[in-house]
Amino acid sequence: MKILIVEDEESLQRSLNSYLTAEGYTCSTANTYDSAKQKIALYEYDCILLDLNLPGGEGLELLRFLKKKDRTDGVIIISARNSLDHKIEGLSLGADDYLIKPFHLSELNARIASVIRRRSFEGRDYFSFNEIDVDLKGKQIKVKGQVVYFTKKEFDLLLYFMTNKNKAISKAAAVEHIWGDDADMADSFDFIYTHIKNIRKKLTDAGSNDYFQSIYGVGYKFVDQ
Amino acid sequence: MRLLSKYNRSLLLISGLGLLLISGLFYFTFNYYLDRQIDQDLEEETLEVRHYAKNNIFYKANNFEDLIVQYKEVPSLNGQRKFGDTLFYNPIKKIKESGRYLSTDLSINGKNYRVWIIASKFNKNEQIKGIFLIIVLPVIFLLVIVLLINGVVMKRMWSPFRMLLTNIQKFNINHEHPFEPINTTITEFRQLNDAVLELAKKVKSDYSEVKLFTENASHEMMTPLAVINSKLDTMLQFNLSAEEQSEILVDLYRATAKLTKLNQSLLLLVKIDNSMPQPNVEIDIDQLINDKLEFFQELITSRKLNINTKLSQVKILGNSSLFEILTNNLLSNAIRHNVEGGVIKIELNDTELVFSNTGFGQPLDENLIFERFHKDPTSEGTGLGLAILKQVCAKMGYQLIYTFSNGLHHFKVILLSNLENK
Repeated sequence: MKILIVEDEESLQRSLNSYLTAEGYTCSTANTYDSAKQKIALYEYDCILLDLNLPGGEGLELLRFLKKKDRTDGVIIISARNSLDHKIEGLSLGADDYLIKPFHLSELNARIASVIRRRSFEGRDYFSFNEIDVDLKGKQIKVKGQVVYFTKKEFDLLLYFMTNKNKAISKAAAVEHIWGDDADMADSFDFIYTHIKNIRKKLTDAGSNDYFQSIYGVGYKFVDQ
Repeated sequence: MRLLSKYNRSLLLISGLGLLLISGLFYFTFNYYLDRQIDQDLEEETLEVRHYAKNNIFYKANNFEDLIVQYKEVPSLNGQRKFGDTLFYNPIKKIKESGRYLSTDLSINGKNYRVWIIASKFNKNEQIKGIFLIIVLPVIFLLVIVLLINGVVMKRMWSPFRMLLTNIQKFNINHEHPFEPINTTITEFRQLNDAVLELAKKVKSDYSEVKLFTENASHEMMTPLAVINSKLDTMLQFNLSAEEQSEILVDLYRATAKLTKLNQSLLLLVKIDNSMPQPNVEIDIDQLINDKLEFFQELITSRKLNINTKLSQVKILGNSSLFEILTNNLLSNAIRHNVEGGVIKIELNDTELVFSNTGFGQPLDENLIFERFHKDPTSEGTGLGLAILKQVCAKMGYQLIYTFSNGLHHFKVILLSNLENK
């Protein structure tokens, strides 16, 4: 899976690069409008992470360029501008998602996975992890063929951890994934604990292994033991 | 005091004093000249008296002359003549009158006499009064007319000023209500109008500059925040060896989340001001509140709050994203500033939406709570929640009222104006 990171802030670019590389993606980077355009013209990517404010040009122009060329690369806009107009314009120009800075790397990873899933020709609505089967469309989880019922928040959370498996996810990232940035949940990191506890219990009760690992109160990790 | 009454007051005072002074002067000069005239008559009369005295006859004035002559024996003649004012008994009219006299000494039949010739001033006084009235009455009449005209003309002349004042009062920096200049031919008002117009423009541009600054500053901070966040996430992937390290990470995450939230709130405040009017959509308020209660469920259960709702089915037309911010902030405020095991009451009917919650047992200062960054020292929030709430209500044309009763803090949003629009 190839990913192009178009971001002019070097240190952020490096973080994205190392995180996504560790996730198994092949990443290339561009930090100006021109270099990004060059790379897009030469290669095809499974997903392009696109910053809108670029030295030398507007990120939306690159979207128009892709659209003109009838390209099907997945695009996730990463922008500091939380503006509805930009969002609508970006999405109408063919972007698949719009992520507002600051974001958590695990969140980005989940969004990339979802974009790639949607873009892939198989249209995979199912995926499995050992004894756990996930039906994305039906929002259903089966353990050893047996349906386990989860609330919507629990389902989202479990999926989030499974997409970022073997990665430590902070409570902050998990909170943001579930509640978004609408709610003022900065002091509510501990609610994640309850949700994780419930998910763990439901999974182990259904006969699954316990894949969650706690990291000293900072967060959790979903690991393949 | 109104300008007109102030002006009238000084006009009346000055013209009254002037009138008094002038009439006094007028009276005295007039009196003086009349006295001289009487004196001359008396002089002539003396000549007659002397003429008769030479023939040893006591002259008696004729009835028609309105004049009396009195004689009194004196030991010696000193030949002096004296004019003066006096009160005398008028035997003809049989009343005491003010008069003017001339006294002189003369001898009749070898005896010395002092003679007083007294002339009545009554007629002359009447004359003065008449002339005085003829002059003073029209002056007073004129003054009254001037006052009346002033009242009418001033009112008309000041009407541009009043219009200007209304327009200034209507001018609102937030509501995109520009200052409307007035049309007037009066130079002073035109100057005032131009000055206010200039001021309004300046205030507006300064204000939008400040807003732009806030917006840009907040946006610029987002990228460094993104860097911090990503570095924290990267750091989390290292094998943390000690609880100490993870505690530092937790604190860093918390601080970053708070900073991000603060930034987002500031941006939101600016955005509410700047947001273009969006198409009104139907908002199902009771549905929205139930969704939000579900959304905040963890917060509610963790604080063991009792939710008490009385929701009628209410649908309104409005900007749905603003209304969502409104309910979000009302609810999170009611949760955040509550006590463990407290109560939240939500009431909704066609005209109003009320969130009541237990909390700090004292009424809050309603003038302060909606201020930006005013918050309880113990609060973990940004101090912007209620400011945003107020801004949203102002933008949507709702009234937001805070009250405290029965140990409950009530935040009431009056939706009526919106229903009327509908």
